[in-house]
Amino acid sequence: MLRAALVFVVAAVGITAILSMGGTAEAATETEAVTTVATTGGTNLLIQNLFNGIVFGLLLALASVGLSLIYGTTGLSNFAHGEMVTFGAMITYFLATPQAVSFPLLPFEFTIAWPFWIAAPVGIAIATFFGWVQDKIIWSQLRRRRVAMIQQMIVSIGLSLALVNFIQWWMGGRPVRLVTSIDPRVQYGPISVGNVTLISMAIAIVALLGVAFFLQRTRLGRATRAVSDNPALASASGIKVDSIIRIVWMMAAGLAALGGILLALYQQGIGFDDGTKLLMMMFAAVTLGGLGHPYGALVGSLIIGVVAEVSTVWLPPDLKFATALGILIIVLLVRPQGILGKAERVG
Amino acid sequence: MNDKPVILDADNLIAGYLPGINILNGCSMEVKEGELIGIIGPNGAGKSTFLKALFGLVPVRDGSVTLGGEDITNLRADELVKRGVGFVPQTNNVFPSLTIEENLEMGAYQAHKNFKKQLARIGDLFPVLIQRKNQRAGSLSGGERQMVAMARALMMDPHVLLLDEPSAGLSPARQDETFVRTREINKTGVTVIMVEQNARRCLQICDRGYVLDQGTSAYTATGQELLKDPKVIELYLGTLGA
Repeated sequence: MLRAALVFVVAAVGITAILSMGGTAEAATETEAVTTVATTGGTNLLIQNLFNGIVFGLLLALASVGLSLIYGTTGLSNFAHGEMVTFGAMITYFLATPQAVSFPLLPFEFTIAWPFWIAAPVGIAIATFFGWVQDKIIWSQLRRRRVAMIQQMIVSIGLSLALVNFIQWWMGGRPVRLVTSIDPRVQYGPISVGNVTLISMAIAIVALLGVAFFLQRTRLGRATRAVSDNPALASASGIKVDSIIRIVWMMAAGLAALGGILLALYQQGIGFDDGTKLLMMMFAAVTLGGLGHPYGALVGSLIIGVVAEVSTVWLPPDLKFATALGILIIVLLVRPQGILGKAERVG
Repeated sequence: MNDKPVILDADNLIAGYLPGINILNGCSMEVKEGELIGIIGPNGAGKSTFLKALFGLVPVRDGSVTLGGEDITNLRADELVKRGVGFVPQTNNVFPSLTIEENLEMGAYQAHKNFKKQLARIGDLFPVLIQRKNQRAGSLSGGERQMVAMARALMMDPHVLLLDEPSAGLSPARQDETFVRTREINKTGVTVIMVEQNARRCLQICDRGYVLDQGTSAYTATGQELLKDPKVIELYLGTLGA
């Protein structure tokens, strides 16, 4: 468990280093523009940032629960999970934008322009199907051939690069907005927040409660936890492990897409590589919460979100994710299994 | 030997984990309905591999396994559970993050409509599990885990139960309890095939024993005959207490 946690941390730090090597200033500025709050009126900076942290944490949790479930059931650290976040948002944009759109290499353009409330569920459904396709074509084949986990991880890195480049080729390098209307901010006591953000929060909470209900209260959910505990024993108990893993891939892709759509609304836009940037935070969240523990992803995400946002009250915004990762390292030194990870007795 | 029909027949199995390296080099076994079979042998003889090969957890490269006359060679474990075969692994035999009740529910995954009925039946065999049904299996001792593992495997009401070293790592008192319980389960009509390191105790309770050596079935006879066989005593049982 500790070894796996360290792999996650090293991976997260590695991605941070790669992403900081230039070319991301524009995107970073956009994100900060949204997440750094206006302190006008009755807004209290600390409470406002705490609230923003909870919002970001909830959206991060939506994206990272799937990553945690995939790790739990298959042992794979899926580096292509960030692109599933971007993919969901981009597909929704593709369906909802009033502008002419096209598929790569197609010589003509067309307009879909569905209302957002139709485009978003269809986008999530397409992303869920993409999760099914991924497992059917790639991951189940690798599992069947007993390909080692490191090799599978390398495949996921390759898939991540392929997807991020494909999305850039298809949608272009500039951030896109899923809705064009401006969400006016409303003052609630010391907090200033837009209605879209409040609705996004509510959707994220309902979705996360839905995941918890599925895992705790349904037979399929308990089987998912069983596969996560011990796939060989689950098979020996009569559970079709591959079917459960297929469902997990679909769920993970669907939740990531929902997270991507809500993040795009919250940030008022999404770029082709926003999911890739978010991957570092997702790895940090699932490691902090407890690897493979789905509720751990939620707890870890909230902590990462709150620490990142609140730290900007005292520290430069450039350091906010570094602060969150610092907390991760400190927690792992004290509690290697993560916050919700449980030490098992042996024998 | 009883005159009941053969329920499980393994014929000349060749199997192994890594390509080109065989652990089983022609292992055969014939099990009649209702028998309690003990498989003994030195370390590395392929006892556990044999059991796993029967249960589809190790790929069989040659030979065949039939269950009630039907070929089940290399069938997936969940398919075998559906056909009435249960398996209790030696280690990692519970779902640690699940409660005892949830562990038992997973045992009845393919027949969930009968879960309550089966739970009541298992409750008669293992009452302590029902009393502690909400306890997380990861917090149980080795003996308690073994009990949960056996109960889980019995939830589908199997015809054939495969036990991989059920007494491993248990105290002598717990070992005795496990052997008695295994015999009780067998008396309910379940055919039991048990791999054991505690050869003497295993042969005392089993109807027939198979002695494995270097991946082949070296001898077979009734448990009592094997206990008195000078070769088996010399090689596997030792002379103390013989």
